[in-house]
Amino acid sequence: MPTTAAAKPVNGHNQGIFHNTTGFSTLITVTVLTLAWLAGFASRLFAVIRFESIIHEFDPWFNYRSTAYMVEHGFYNFLNWFDERAWYPLGRIVGGTVYPGLMLTSGTIHWLLHALNIPIHIRDICVFLAPVFSGLTAIATYLLTSELWSRGAGLFAACFIAIVPGYSSRSVAGSYDNEGIAIFALQFTYYLWLKSVKSGSVFWSICTALSYFYMVSAWGGYVFIINLIPLHVFVLLIMGRFSQRLFVSYTVFYIIGLVFSMQIPFVGFQPIRTSEHMAASGVFALLMVVGALKYLHSLNPKGEWKQLLVLGTLVAAGAVFLAVVALTYMGVIAPWSGRFYSLWDTGYAKIHIPIIASVSEHQPTTWSSFFFDLHVLVCTFPVGLWYCIKNINDERVFVALYAISAVYFAGVMVRLMLTLTPVVCVLSGIAFSIILELVLREDDPTQAPVETEESKNLYDKAGKVKKRAPEPVQTQDQGLGLYARPGTVIAFMILLMLFSVHCTWATSNAYSSPSIVLASYGNDGSRRILDDFREAYGWLSQNTAEDARIMSWWDYGYQIAGMGNRTTLVDNNTWNNSHIALVGKAMASNESAAYEIMSMLDVDYVLVIFGGAIGYSGDDINKFIWMVRIAEGEHPKDIHEADYFTERGEYRIDAEGSKTMLNCLMYKLSYYRYDSGGSPPGYDRTRNAMPGNRGFKLTYLEESYTTEHWLVRIYRVKKRDEFNRPRVPISKRTISTSNSISKKTSKRRKGLLKNKPTVVKGKKMRLE
Amino acid sequence: MIVKMSSEIPARNKMRICVVYLLFIFTICGSTNVDTVSSDIKIKNVDRIIDCSSQLVKTTSKITLENSGKAPIKSFLLAIENVLKDHISFLGVKDSHNKDLRLIETTVKGYDYIKFYRVELKDAINAGSSSILTAESVFTKALQPYPTAITQQEDQLVKFNGNLYFFSPYYVISQKTNVILNTKSVESFTKVKPFSQLDGTLIFGTYSNIGPFTEKELSVHFKNNSPFLTVTRVERLIEVSHWGNIAVEEKIEIEHTGAKLSGPFSRYHYQQDHHSGPASVRSYKTLLPASAADVYYRDTNGNISTSNMKVKKDSVELDLRPRYPLFGGWKTHYTLGYNVPSYEYVYHSGNEYLLKMRVIDHIVDDMQVDELVTKVILPEGVHNIKINFPYSITKLPDTLHYTYLDTQGRPVISFTKKNIVENHIQDFQLRYTFPTIIMLREPLIVVGSLYALFLCVIIYVRLDFSIHKPEHAHKD
Repeated sequence: MPTTAAAKPVNGHNQGIFHNTTGFSTLITVTVLTLAWLAGFASRLFAVIRFESIIHEFDPWFNYRSTAYMVEHGFYNFLNWFDERAWYPLGRIVGGTVYPGLMLTSGTIHWLLHALNIPIHIRDICVFLAPVFSGLTAIATYLLTSELWSRGAGLFAACFIAIVPGYSSRSVAGSYDNEGIAIFALQFTYYLWLKSVKSGSVFWSICTALSYFYMVSAWGGYVFIINLIPLHVFVLLIMGRFSQRLFVSYTVFYIIGLVFSMQIPFVGFQPIRTSEHMAASGVFALLMVVGALKYLHSLNPKGEWKQLLVLGTLVAAGAVFLAVVALTYMGVIAPWSGRFYSLWDTGYAKIHIPIIASVSEHQPTTWSSFFFDLHVLVCTFPVGLWYCIKNINDERVFVALYAISAVYFAGVMVRLMLTLTPVVCVLSGIAFSIILELVLREDDPTQAPVETEESKNLYDKAGKVKKRAPEPVQTQDQGLGLYARPGTVIAFMILLMLFSVHCTWATSNAYSSPSIVLASYGNDGSRRILDDFREAYGWLSQNTAEDARIMSWWDYGYQIAGMGNRTTLVDNNTWNNSHIALVGKAMASNESAAYEIMSMLDVDYVLVIFGGAIGYSGDDINKFIWMVRIAEGEHPKDIHEADYFTERGEYRIDAEGSKTMLNCLMYKLSYYRYDSGGSPPGYDRTRNAMPGNRGFKLTYLEESYTTEHWLVRIYRVKKRDEFNRPRVPISKRTISTSNSISKKTSKRRKGLLKNKPTVVKGKKMRLE
Repeated sequence: MIVKMSSEIPARNKMRICVVYLLFIFTICGSTNVDTVSSDIKIKNVDRIIDCSSQLVKTTSKITLENSGKAPIKSFLLAIENVLKDHISFLGVKDSHNKDLRLIETTVKGYDYIKFYRVELKDAINAGSSSILTAESVFTKALQPYPTAITQQEDQLVKFNGNLYFFSPYYVISQKTNVILNTKSVESFTKVKPFSQLDGTLIFGTYSNIGPFTEKELSVHFKNNSPFLTVTRVERLIEVSHWGNIAVEEKIEIEHTGAKLSGPFSRYHYQQDHHSGPASVRSYKTLLPASAADVYYRDTNGNISTSNMKVKKDSVELDLRPRYPLFGGWKTHYTLGYNVPSYEYVYHSGNEYLLKMRVIDHIVDDMQVDELVTKVILPEGVHNIKINFPYSITKLPDTLHYTYLDTQGRPVISFTKKNIVENHIQDFQLRYTFPTIIMLREPLIVVGSLYALFLCVIIYVRLDFSIHKPEHAHKD
């Protein structure tokens, strides 16, 4: 690991034989950052090396699909893209419902490379975008940390963030998602914000606003920035650290950032209409009031204004708060959204929005995952935080707030671990830097002047980094003995080594699975690839009608659209809860009731994931209880969660399972003709049980395709003339068909003449 | 041998003259392609073998020609019967020394509805003597699945409709036809005595004294579970690099054109019983050149992980399994690519180069290809391009292709042909001029641009571009 080896000399070797110490330290900085970039890039390539250059998981498939669309049709067509392949029959206005930053970034890279005649496929750009951006994140973290503490700490932080699993979990090659570029934007915005607070220059504030604009275009997490920066300003006000610099930087940033953020179609008027953004406007108003009062105070600085200043500030704060509350009640400002609520009340989602609770990454974080994602950093970052608070200044207030809020959010949702990781790296970088500086310092009093001289002489870009001589540290240098130093150094080297080993291991084992290609290992170590997902999607894309509509649970919506190129009913953009509930209801109903729903929704094929044959636990039967819950939320009369449990409250699929469970569509589609698998034929390996209902026949659907390992099963929904008809001898059949049938088949596809009642014996008519 | 030229690349006078000249020859040939049936020729005996065991119908006819006239004959006519006229893909004739003879498509007055080929003999047949020739023809889509749709468990039955007699503009004295089916389960066949059925073969004849242009329906309805794979489109891309490599990439769309699958697909039955789905195709073999390396097999969703590669002495054998088994009516598509060393295919003397490669390569055994588009990308700076084809091919307009470090674009020669079978796997010859010095251009571009970059950095670092002197670091 380059971290320790190269970061050391920055602090220790400054007064060596080299005349040009600035050039030398710049060289080291550039080398370390380049190596960090390389190490970060390389450690994210496990999936590409083990499998192939492929887009992972679910959401990335949508991002990839829309990027490909944008590259093919141009940016403006992308903004106006109405995707009729999603949310049938509603469709989706993609341009207005995505954060286009990701697509724009890779589209721009694609355009640039093709302008240089480098014919790289857009898929490869998408796959490698996140690892490349991890390098940029490392640099942004370096800048942020050196702004906060020192360049040595910055190099530590850069090396940490390059490989830490908490960040690489979201940015391995192939996980083409907003977070991949957003963390870079986040860190860079914070860096620029600190820069502007420090300098009070309009230039840096505008840069902050521009960087914030990029962040808004890239990820919904921009709300974190637009709340944290006002919080920073607010706390500074409370601490009595108001300054002209703060005033200039925040007002410029707020106004320009606001105007910019409203340019993103998906964000639109939200920054002035929703509660999530109100803190920023409130602080803006407050800052104005404080600025005005300060000005008045400066006119007559003789004391009697002082109480007025404090009182005025308090009144203004109260007025702003009351105004926001009043506007919320009047309905001008939208109240907090459910997702935001669930950050404060962890039980909220479970009761009110099961669709959010059903996603595993929205669960509260466990202690072990803190350690898993951050390893030794989780222990060292309080040290950095302590030093920051101890030597407080305007910027360190910011990083303290950043750390405290991020720790809270990371505790609420596993997913928000991602926002904690950068600040942990920053603070741990500071901690390691302090400790090593302490240990490695030679007892030479000339060191301090050298360092300050150095900061004057910097002539290239790095020269703009302002150096802060960590004076308090120097005073504590006395207590270290002769043997304590090498001992501490060795201990810390070992820690860092363990850290890097853990990072590589965690990235490789936990975060580098593409999840659309599964691999299993035989007893002899040979690898078997289970490629069932792509088998099924490939089948769909080649062997079904172009406009066929596929019903599946929403998890697979993006993949069906991306790989199968077919119309889906619901997908991972879970914007319409009732539509999802309808699909859930169809899956939870018995076959005939489901048929009514399916024909109402014009479903041609049903796709279910069944892991029973190979023991794949993420299949639809295991997710089924969420389908029931979501369906019950919208259709409480028809679906009751309790019906799917046994009397003792167990969720079972064997003979003891409840009758409703054993006859619902999801159960039947999963176990239809399932007789292979474990040692007794038909044994379900995932749930370790023998299915309770076997050998049944399907009336309304027929098996169209099942993949090699039974993982994906596709059924065709029969048309009304295909089932439940009395058998007519062949001789009679030929007489009646000639005209009427051909008419029907030609129009059946368009779905227009469906209302025409077809007489089906012994069946009730459609509900319409 | 038919020669066609690229006429798109401008400013090559020599070539233009050639083109004009060749077009001239062409038009002459076109206008004179009217023949008459010589009454001097008689066919003594025809031994015909119709092989229906695969998805193609391959006929091999041993024809004994007799010159009953006075003058020696230099050419004779072959005719294709109406039933199979639209299915013919390949026709070749060899003489007794196993030498290929030249064929020219022609017409005969009064028989406009029949397709004729004039065969030009190498050695003329003198009056009274006879000569043995072998005509080989391949018909695609001549076997019709009947019934057109079957369930998963059923066997595929196909029907062949042909001519019971050897179709010829000449009088045939005696003839015999063997129909190879490779199966005993024959539903029905035309019964014109004398005939016999032996193992997997139907033998018709000997019939004697059949007049010219006699057609009588021969219909065979039998089981044929061999893979009915039609390659609906192949795009073959050959990228020649003078640094020692030729990259070949084929984009292939394939469809099972046998009896369509009706009713459900049952994975259970397909897995339990290996004989289930007898007409389906689980995998097939593709042969690549022996020197092929870096083979990849993927589609738009990424690698197709189910394939095996075996390196043999004279070829590389790929066992390709599509993502899913192909039943009747199911389609799939994929991209297959590999590299071959250029010394095996590019020959040169000085700056003159000759590229000899296959127009199309093997895809499936007994393949039938509906449409082929081959594109040859030559290095940048190539000029004087001339191309020879082994058979008639439609040339497409030349284009330019831009890739790494290109400035003026690489010439792309493309051509297309429809209805192709294995017999069409033959070499085309592409001649061009390429000054070797041009190879240095791309490394020089890289070196030059890096040099410029470093120069810029050096200048930027040495000079002070700021408007005013930077102040001291801000103190909080």
